[in-house]
Parts: sequence; structure tokens; C-alpha cells
Amino acid sequence: MPFKAPDCPAVKGFIETSFVDWKGNLSSVLFLGGCNFRCPYCHNKDLVLNPAGFEDVPIEYIAATLRKYKNWVDKIVITGGEPTLHMSLFGLIGFLKTEGMKVKLDTNGSNPSVLKGLVSEGLIDCVAMDVKGPLDRYSRWCGINVDERKISESIEFIQGCGIDYQFRMTVVPFFHREEDVYAVARHLEGAKDFVIQTFRPDVTLNRAFSRIRPFSPQKMEQIRKNVSGIMSAGSARQQDDQRRFSVIGPNNDGDMDNLYT
Amino acid sequence: METTDLNLFVRTSEESISGWDRSKIVDALIRETLIDRDTAGEISKEVEQMIRKSGIQVITAPLIRELVNARLIEKGLENSRKMHTRLGMPLYDVDSLILHPNKENANVPHGPEATNLTLAEGIKKEYALLSVFSQEVADAHMNGDIHLHDLGFVDRPYCSGQSLEYIKKFGLDLPHSLSMAKPAKHPEVLLAHLVKFAAALQSHFAGAIGWDAINIFFAPYVEGMSDNDVKQLAQMLIFEFSQQAVARGGQAIFTDINIYWEIPKHFVNVPAIGPGGKFTGKTYGEYEKEAQRFAWKLFEVYKEGDGAGRPFFFPKPIVHITEKFFHTDGHMDFLNLISDVASDKGNTYYVFDRGETAKISECCRLSFKLEESDLLDAKEPWRMRYCALQNVSLNLPRLAYMAKNDDTRLFNLITERFLLAVRAHKEKRAFMEKLLSLGENGPLALLTMNRDGMPYLRFNHASHLIGMVGLNEMVQIHTGEEMHVSKKALKFGIKAIAHMNLLTDHMRRQENMKIVLEQTPAESTSYRFARLDLRYFSPHSGRIMKGDIASGEVYYTNSTHLNVKQAMNPIERVTTEGLFHPLIEAGSISHVWLGEAQPSKEAIADFVIKTFKHTTNDQIAFSPEFTTCNKCHRTGRGLADACSYCGSTDVDGITRITGYFTKVSSWNKGKLGELKDRYRNVEYFSEKRKAANE
Repeated sequence: MPFKAPDCPAVKGFIETSFVDWKGNLSSVLFLGGCNFRCPYCHNKDLVLNPAGFEDVPIEYIAATLRKYKNWVDKIVITGGEPTLHMSLFGLIGFLKTEGMKVKLDTNGSNPSVLKGLVSEGLIDCVAMDVKGPLDRYSRWCGINVDERKISESIEFIQGCGIDYQFRMTVVPFFHREEDVYAVARHLEGAKDFVIQTFRPDVTLNRAFSRIRPFSPQKMEQIRKNVSGIMSAGSARQQDDQRRFSVIGPNNDGDMDNLYT
Repeated sequence: METTDLNLFVRTSEESISGWDRSKIVDALIRETLIDRDTAGEISKEVEQMIRKSGIQVITAPLIRELVNARLIEKGLENSRKMHTRLGMPLYDVDSLILHPNKENANVPHGPEATNLTLAEGIKKEYALLSVFSQEVADAHMNGDIHLHDLGFVDRPYCSGQSLEYIKKFGLDLPHSLSMAKPAKHPEVLLAHLVKFAAALQSHFAGAIGWDAINIFFAPYVEGMSDNDVKQLAQMLIFEFSQQAVARGGQAIFTDINIYWEIPKHFVNVPAIGPGGKFTGKTYGEYEKEAQRFAWKLFEVYKEGDGAGRPFFFPKPIVHITEKFFHTDGHMDFLNLISDVASDKGNTYYVFDRGETAKISECCRLSFKLEESDLLDAKEPWRMRYCALQNVSLNLPRLAYMAKNDDTRLFNLITERFLLAVRAHKEKRAFMEKLLSLGENGPLALLTMNRDGMPYLRFNHASHLIGMVGLNEMVQIHTGEEMHVSKKALKFGIKAIAHMNLLTDHMRRQENMKIVLEQTPAESTSYRFARLDLRYFSPHSGRIMKGDIASGEVYYTNSTHLNVKQAMNPIERVTTEGLFHPLIEAGSISHVWLGEAQPSKEAIADFVIKTFKHTTNDQIAFSPEFTTCNKCHRTGRGLADACSYCGSTDVDGITRITGYFTKVSSWNKGKLGELKDRYRNVEYFSEKRKAANE
């Protein structure tokens, strides 16, 4: 098939086979640069702050690779940064669909109109939205002023749009209170999939956050248990933790409400 | 001069001190060598004179023997000297053996039993090289052209695969044992028989003991048991094998258990044997649900790990993925379960039996394709007993140093070495035949016991393995490129293995021996070849060698594998490595090193299905790494210097060495070098990765 490059945003990273990004299947992953949020615990800070520092991955290369692994991988995850910032996203996804791929979009939910457009055009098969914390203090979580109504509009739309979806929240000790997780869970009540992720301190947007130790697996287990109690009929899935925890130094298992910084 | 003149005492090997008696030298020479009495007498006199001159008062028998040997050499009686030689070890070596651990095989712990094993192996190795093998073969082993595996076990066959049916039908009735047990009536008793029989086999084979379709053959005993009881039984089985550290040399029995989700075609209509060794009146096809229940529980136990959450080292569970697997109810659930274990603990081995092939697997990566006659045996599964007599590996990189970029020369050298390996097999075979011919009064009585019209070890079914080490480096030296670098280099590698495959075919017919290619696990061989080539082929070898020369952690890439260090999509690795597998009949494996990552079980299952469908790969395994704490007894992911829970530095790293899990602290230097190099696929398996590729 002759190849015609679509009008599409610069791709800043490409993993041809991932075992972790799409539950249940092998998938490819595309990273788009730039983000409208500044979450202090973000672990993709270079991609957010300085996307120009990454070389573009030519779409021709991506197309060739997808075709090469066609028998193995027919799913692709578009992540970032925040993919919905790029209007040419439609062109990119349209192209991926013509290549026969199923597409999952990772988003922060700040662009409900783009999301609605993508769904109504039948361009995406699955959406995963990061919920950063309880909606009443959203600017605190994402580091910029944000219209919380947009966030709640996205949440509402996703729950009713009919495609496969997932909500995710990364829990950062000292930044979030345990209660914050439960507040989000109550907001999402009835959602079929809410995954609690463990914070990874390797590289963070706000450097101070890289000194925060994640919760122990036991603590995470307990939080997940409480969350699934809140979510009706156990609709919160307990995602197996996929990383190693290094709880070195003081144990974080104590009451964190008093340690709020 | 009268012998009594000499006021000398001899410390003999019978722990006694006796007076000097020259005639004992003469007797020994006449008994052990082919020289005449006069020469013997002459030698004894010369030795006596020398001792007399030295003025020594107490002398040991070994020293006298060496003095005699020196005279034999002086007289040019080299052949007699060899026959008269003494096997043993220097004091210094024994001392350090008793004090320090053995690093050649990571499965040997350090302790008095282990020391016994190593001492005995040392002497048997010398014996093998002097007396079992011809000088040419022995020399080729010594200088690292070829490697004769398990020489310390020269008086046993290499490995064995069988089914539970033998003990189900005949009970535990071993030659010379103190009591005879009738066929088991209860599942726990059957399990006890299984473990004891495995231990008995371990002391008659050098390597792995494999059990075919264990969940299927247990099924008639499991019928009617509650789920809890089945789980308990599964737990007992796994713990019994993983804690068998009291057997030979304190070495856990290297056991494999083969597991099927479906009832393979060749067992469906076979009458099942149940409690008391009696036929139940049903066929194994009717026990599918029970067999599945037991398989499920086994993997539940693997998932939990041992008391400290560590993966079990043994028995290794080998799951056969067949066409029928995909048409059997519940296969996706089972695949997800075993993939969960693969991701979390790493135990699962996936063996792919495509098309009509049926296989039995054992050892690090050895598997046997069942032939037509074997499928006839399958109707009476207690007959299914397979063994390999010996394993010989070729040092492929060395041939490339010698060939100096001349294709013809290289292939000619491969042929030469291959023929030498065949010769080694014939010599071992002759020796085995001699031992087995002594029957139930001989050293291998167990293997000659005859309960079903043929001896336990069916000699005419025995295989002879020829393996290879460092194909990647051979190609690199010869073509200038490693196999992952270009299609051309890869093709050359395939050509070389195809040549060996052809030789196998040819020699099998010519010698009427079952000769098969296998991928050498090369736990210590790749290190040994690397060291010897550094010695004999420097400086060229220094540029090729993998690992770190300064620290001595050098190795050649195992068998036909691609460079372990190379960053490579796992799809690419299993596909490319899989190209070699159809040429290697006795089984191959591709390793996917996970490091600390724990990919999702469904994605692994997806990968496994696609590997089955889209590649020719025979077997894959996923290997995570662990750090287990000796203080708080918890186990974390990844190899770390300190416990991630309590911070203690009293920790052990655990991961797969070749075909099994073990503590990293017991690894030899070559494997440590490889461990540092292993490309761990982090960007594919873990969320911990850079946003963009570099």
C-alpha cells in the first residue's frame, strides 16, 4: 500500500510493543508533546515542558513498524503530554484507524469537546482519564487554574459515551490525603473502572516531589480495598501494582493527615 | 640387599602402617599394567634404592606409586604409567573445597554433603578422562574444543523423563531396597512414591528428572477430593521437591513437571490407572476436569511462592501449548493464571507443540519429540521412559578463530568437531553398556530392573545430545557482525546450525544411534570456553569476548541465542531466535528478561498466543528478578543491594541462571558477567521508562 503521510502532530516517542499500557493486550504507544497541566508529581516533565527537546519520530517509521508487527499488535495508546491539545490529533487517529488499529486515548479531561468529537467520529475505542484529585480543589492538583466544570463534564461524558473507559488516580503521599482518594471515588461512583496508581518518585516536575516515598504495597492495598468498597458493586478494579517500591527510611504508613504539607 | 634392611614404615591407603615390602610394588605393577615381571622387579629395586638414599623413615603409599610412575616414564613405558596412575587431589585443593563453596553449578549448596559430591566428582572426572574416553576425546575436552558435560557423573546416564504411570502400576519396588511398596491407594502415598522414586533416579542420573503430564496422571486420585484438599496436595508436591535439599550432595532434585490443560490426543483413549494400580474403567480423556483442577491448584501454589514469597526453584512447571489447548474450555482463564505466575514469579515455561508433534520436556531446555513408536508406547504410558546418555557441546567461536574467514574451512572444522562429539558418545555408550550389562548386581541395578518385559532404562531409546555454545560469537568472528546486526549475519548463523542438523541426520543413520541437537544450557561451559579461548586465542578473542575481561567475568552467548545485551523488542527476539528452533530437535528456549518489571498477565498471555501462532519458537520463559531478605524474610522485586522493606544488606538476589531460578550469590563469574549485560526490556514491560525513545 502506498504511504501518504497524514496531517498529524509531532510524535515525540514511540514504543512498538508495550505489555502494560492496554489492559489485556499488547499495544503500541505514541507520546505527544506538550501539556496544559503542571501537576507537580508529573513524571514526564521533559515531554511537558520541553517537547522540542525530543526528536520527532517520523510517521513513516511508525507506519512501517505497525505494519511489520501487524500480526502481534493491533492496539495503540496515544498518550502525552496531553494529546487533546493537538487539533491534528483527528488526522493522526484517522490514519491509525485506516491502518486497522484500535485506539486508546489517555487524557486529563480538560478538553471535553475534543473528546466528544473523537467519540462521535468513532475514532477511539477506549479512553483513560486521569483524575488528579477531588474536583473542588482541582487547581491545586494540576498546578494551573482550571475550569473544574470541564473536568466534571468529561467525567460525565465518558461514563455515558458507550466506549470502553477507565479512570485513574495517582496517589502522592503528603500531597493527597487518604480522604482525597475516597472523595474522588465517591464522585466517580458507578464508574466501572477506577484504578489507583502508586506514585513513582524517579523524576518529577517539581523536584521536591522526587523525595517523597510512595506508599508501601500494603498501604496501597488497603486504600484500594476502601475505594472498591465505596464504588458500587465493587466496580473499582484493583490494579496489580506494577512497580517495585522502595520504602527506605521512615515508614509512610502512619497517619498522613497530620503530615499535610 | 634384603628388604628388611630398610627400617621404613609405609602409611597405606588402608589406614594402617606396615613395614617396607618391595614385592608389593612388583605385585601392583603385574596386576595393573602389562609389563613383565623382570622389569617390574627392576623398577621396584630402583625405587627402593632411591627411598633408601633419601633417609626417609615414614613414606605414604601414594608417594611410592608416584616414584614408580617416574621410573616407568624414564623407561618409556608411558602406556603402563597411565594404567598405573593414581587419581586424587592435592591437599590444598581438598582444604579449600571443604572451606569454600563450589561455583561450577549453582544448584550445589555448600556443606559436607556437597563437598563429598565435589570430591567424588573430581576423581570420577579424572577417571573418565583417563579410562572411559580416548586420548583424543579427552584432550579435546581438556583444551576446550568440546565440552563433555557432567564428567563427574560419568558412570550414569545424563537425564531421564518418565511418567507417573510406572510407579502407579508397579508400586515402589526398587532393587536392593529394604522394603517393597505396593501401588499407592491414596494420593498422598502416590506423592510420597513419586518423590522417593525421583530421589532414587537422581542418584542414577547426572541431570534432570522429568515427569510427563503429571496433572493428568494424578487425576484419577484427585477425583472426589475437595478443592482445599487438592490445593493441599499441590502444595505438598511443590514443597516436597523444592525442599529436597537432603538428597545427593545436598542438591535439590532437578525436577520438571509437564502440565497440560487439555488431554493430549495420545492420552485421550488410554485406560486410566487409579488407586491400587488398577484400571479405573475410564480413559484419561474422561478425567479432563480433574486434571485441570490439579493443574490450576499447582499454579495457585506457584503464584503464592514459598514461605518468604520467593519463587520456587524446583519443580519447574512446563506447560504445553498445543492446537488442542485453544479448543479446550477455560484455556484463557488458565493461560491468564499461568501468565500471572510468569509475570509475578517467573516459574512458567511455555512449550509450543505445534501441529501434530507431541513432546516431553525436561532439563534446562531439553525436550523429546515423541516418535511413532513412542506414540504406541503412549497406550501403555508406564512404558514411556526416555533418557539421554550424555551431552557434548562444541566450542563454536574457537572454530571461527581457526578458520580465518574461510567458509569451507569453518564448515569443515564444524564437521570435524561434530564427529569428535559423536566419537565421545560412542565411547560413553560403550562404557554405559558395560555397566548395565552387570544387571541387578551392577552399579546401575535400578536402571536394569525389569517390571514390564524390558529394563527400566531402554537403551535402544536413549538419545545422545550434541549442543553448541557461542554461535553468535562464531558468526561475529567470521563475518564481522553479530547475528542481530544484519540479515546476512543471521543467515550465516542459520546456515551453520542447518549444517549441524544435517550432520546429525547423517550420523544417526551411519551409527544407528539417536543423535540429536540441543541448545546447551551452558551454565558453566560458556564461561569455561571463554576463559580457555582467552588463553589460547588472544588477542583476537579479547575483542570478541562478552562480559568484562578485567574482572574475569567473561562469557560466550549461550547456544544459538542473540546477544543478551542488545536492546530488542521481545517480538523480534522470540521471532528471530525461533528461526533456529526447528533445526534443533531436542529443544530450545528463548528468554525474556523482565528485570524488576511486572507486566500485565493478559498482555503476557496475548504475547504467548501470538508467539505460538506467528513464530517457530519452541519454548519461552519470562524471568523476573528478586531480592530476598535474610533478616525480615520478605521478598521484593528487582536486584538490589539492600532490602526494600527493612533496609538490611543481608540479602540474596534471585533470578534465572539458565534453565532454573537460583541465588545469584552462587553464580560463576561468567554468568555474573552475563547477568550484568542482560537487556531487561524495561521500556516494554514497565511504566518506569523514558517518555520518548532514545
